[in-house]
Amino acid sequence: MFDLSDLQGNILRGYRKPLVRYLILEVADRTAARRWLADSISGRDHGVPQITTGNWGVAKPDTCFNIGLTYEGLRALGTPGSSLEMFPNEFIEGMTARALKLGDVGPSAPETWPSPFNEPGRIHIIATIYADKAEQLDQVQQRALDRNALTLLGTRDGYGFRDDYVHFGYRDNIMQPRFEGIHDSERYADGQPMAPLGTVLLGHPTNLEGLTWRVPQPAALGDNGTFNAFRVLKQDVAGFENYLDQAASELLEHPQVDELLPPGAEMKIGQVLAVEGLAVEGRHGALREIVAANLCGRWRDGTPLALSADAPDPNVNQADFDYAGESRCPYGAHIRRCNPRGGQIVQRIANNSRRLVRRGMPYGPAYDRAQRDPDKPEPERGLLGNFIGASLGAQFEAMSCDWLNLGLQDPRITGSNDPITGSNDPKTSWFDLPLKSGGTIRLRGMPQFVSTRGGAYTFLPSLSAIRYLGSLTT
Amino acid sequence: MPIPRDERAIDRFVDRLPENPLFKFLASRILVPLWARWTPVKPLPGGPHPSFQRGDNVQCMMNLIMPLKDKSPVGRALAALAIAQNKDAIFAGLNNVGTVHFARFVIVGDNICMFSVYDGDFTNYIRDFIATIGSVFNAVVGLVEGGEKVLPCEKNVEAFIQWVHERDLYQVPDTPTDFLRDQEALNGDRAVSPVNDDLTLLPRKLVLQLRVNPNVSLGSGYRAYPGFSVAQVRKQLGLGW
Repeated sequence: MFDLSDLQGNILRGYRKPLVRYLILEVADRTAARRWLADSISGRDHGVPQITTGNWGVAKPDTCFNIGLTYEGLRALGTPGSSLEMFPNEFIEGMTARALKLGDVGPSAPETWPSPFNEPGRIHIIATIYADKAEQLDQVQQRALDRNALTLLGTRDGYGFRDDYVHFGYRDNIMQPRFEGIHDSERYADGQPMAPLGTVLLGHPTNLEGLTWRVPQPAALGDNGTFNAFRVLKQDVAGFENYLDQAASELLEHPQVDELLPPGAEMKIGQVLAVEGLAVEGRHGALREIVAANLCGRWRDGTPLALSADAPDPNVNQADFDYAGESRCPYGAHIRRCNPRGGQIVQRIANNSRRLVRRGMPYGPAYDRAQRDPDKPEPERGLLGNFIGASLGAQFEAMSCDWLNLGLQDPRITGSNDPITGSNDPKTSWFDLPLKSGGTIRLRGMPQFVSTRGGAYTFLPSLSAIRYLGSLTT
Repeated sequence: MPIPRDERAIDRFVDRLPENPLFKFLASRILVPLWARWTPVKPLPGGPHPSFQRGDNVQCMMNLIMPLKDKSPVGRALAALAIAQNKDAIFAGLNNVGTVHFARFVIVGDNICMFSVYDGDFTNYIRDFIATIGSVFNAVVGLVEGGEKVLPCEKNVEAFIQWVHERDLYQVPDTPTDFLRDQEALNGDRAVSPVNDDLTLLPRKLVLQLRVNPNVSLGSGYRAYPGFSVAQVRKQLGLGW
C-alpha cells in the first residue's frame, strides 16, 4: 500500500468540501518564505497552517490547506539551477506561454487576463484552503499571511452547488481516475482500467508502457510530486441557454426531428429531469435538453448518453460505461473528447494515457433563468479548475491541443472544437447530433461558452519536497 | 508608354551590388561578419509557425537534419543499415501512431535527415512515436552527434523531444512580415513594433538569420489538396483508421 502521508491531500483522493479559496502569493522574502514552508509541515497547530496530507486518517480535517509552486516560485525560493533545469519545458515556460496550445486565444488570451494573472512572473505560490464554513477560510488565510514571507496578490473563492451540479446545469464530479494500490471508499469500479500511479505522481510507471517522465533531482524534491494546471474558466451560462433555445427552435423545423425526438418522448425526458428540479417545457424544452446532453455526453442529471441516449435514466451506473463498438454518444461530445475511454481513436496508444485528476468548484452566483434581465450584464461566473497529472505536456496539453481544440482523435470530428469548452466561432463551429438511423443532424453557430480568465502551471510538491525547499540555505 | 522610374543612380547602384563579384566577396568575408557582431541574432526555433490550429489544415512538417558521428562511407552505411533493419517497425509505428502521413529518411553529405508530415501537435507526435517505436529512434539517434545524451528516448522523453525540436529546421514564412515577427517574438517582443517591421531591413535581417540558421525549410510545405488528417484520408478511402 502506497504511503499517502508524503503526498499533499486532494491529489489521489478529493476533499469534497463545500468551500474553497485560492491565495495567489508572491515570495516577498526568500529566507522568511523558506521558514514559512518549513513551518507548514512542522506539526504545530498554531502559526502557519499545516499542509493537509493524503493520509488524513478516519475523519477529514475541518479545514484543508495545500500549496502549489510555479517555476518562478521555485526560483524565488532559491531552488538550485541544476534542479530547475530538470523541470519540463511547459512548466518552465508557464501557462501563458502555452496559450496557443491551450486554445487561450481571443477573449481567453493571457493579455486579457485580470489581476493578478496579468503578471504571471509574480505568481509564485498558489495556496488552497478548503473549508466547511466561510469564517474558517478567513481564519486560515489570516494565519497563512501572518508573516512577512509572502505578499497576497489576489484571491479567488469557489463553492460547491447542491449535489455536485455546476453552472451549466450539469451534475459533475462523477468520474475520477482510480489508482492502482490506492483505496478510495468514494470511488467504485467504472469499467476503466485502474490508472498507474505514474499517471499523477512523478517517479512511478506511467500509462505509456516503458515511458517515464523526468523526475527533478534531488529525489526529495521530485519524487511523488505532480503538476497542476490551475484555470479560472469563465462560463457564459446565459449564452449557453440562449444557444439551446436557438438550436431547439431550428431542430423543431428539421425534417428529421422525429427521429431525434419521437412524438411523445418529451414526457419521459421531462419527468426524469423534473425529479432533479430541472423544468422541461414541452417539445421545445425536450429538444433543448437533447442538445445539452449531446454537447456534453451526459444528460444534465449525469446519465451518460453511452448508456441511455433517448432519455435520462436515474437507474444507470453513471460511471460505468465505454465507447467501444457502437455508441450513441456523439464523437464530439465534451466528455468523450476529454476521455475517449476504450473507444476507437486515431492515436491508438493514447487511450487512457491522457487522464487527469480534476478538482474544481464553481465561482460566481448561480444562473437563474427566470430572474434574468436581458438588459443587464450578467455577473461573472465560472469554474475554478485544477487539472492534475504527472506530465502537463503529455496529459493536459495533449488533451487540450489535439482532442479538445482540433478533434484529431476521430476523423468525423477533425476540424471542430469542443462544443462546450472550445474557443468556438459561430461562423465556423459545428457539431453533429447522431441519429438512431446512423445519420446525423449538423448544428452550427455555436459561440464560445467558456473563456479563460487566469491560471498558472504549478508543481504540487510532496511533503519531503516542502521539507527540502524549507531547508535550502543557498 | 513606359512607366516613369523614380530610382536614383545610387538606388540602381545598390540594387546591382549583389551581382558584383567584388561586392559578393567583401560581403561574405567582411560585411556580414561585421553585421553579425553589431547585431547578434538568435537562431530561430524549428517546426511549424506557432498558431492556434484551425481545422482547415491539420498537417505539419518536420525536417530533421542530424550530423552523423562517423563522417565516412562506413558511417553513412551504418545509418542506412539502421533504417533498413527497422523497416518493419517503422511501418508498424506509422500505423499505430495514426497521425503521420509519411516519414522519409535521407542521407545528405554526412547527415541523416528525417522528413515527415504529421497531424497536430509536434510534441504529441514525437511522444507517441517514442511510445510506439522508441527502439528505432534509439538506433538512429545513437549514430548522431550528441544523440547519446538523450538515449534511451523512453527514459528521457522530455529531453529527447527538446533535442529533436532543436534539430527541426526553422520554417521561413512565405510572408516577410511573419519572418520579422518570429524574430521579435524570439526576443520577447510580443507587441511587434512598426519600426522593426521596416521591410527595407528585410534582406539584411534574412542574411543574418540564415547565418545562424544555415539550414531552413522554405515555407511550411505546399500541398496540392487541403490539409486533411491521415485518418480523414484513410476513412474516405475505406482503409480503416
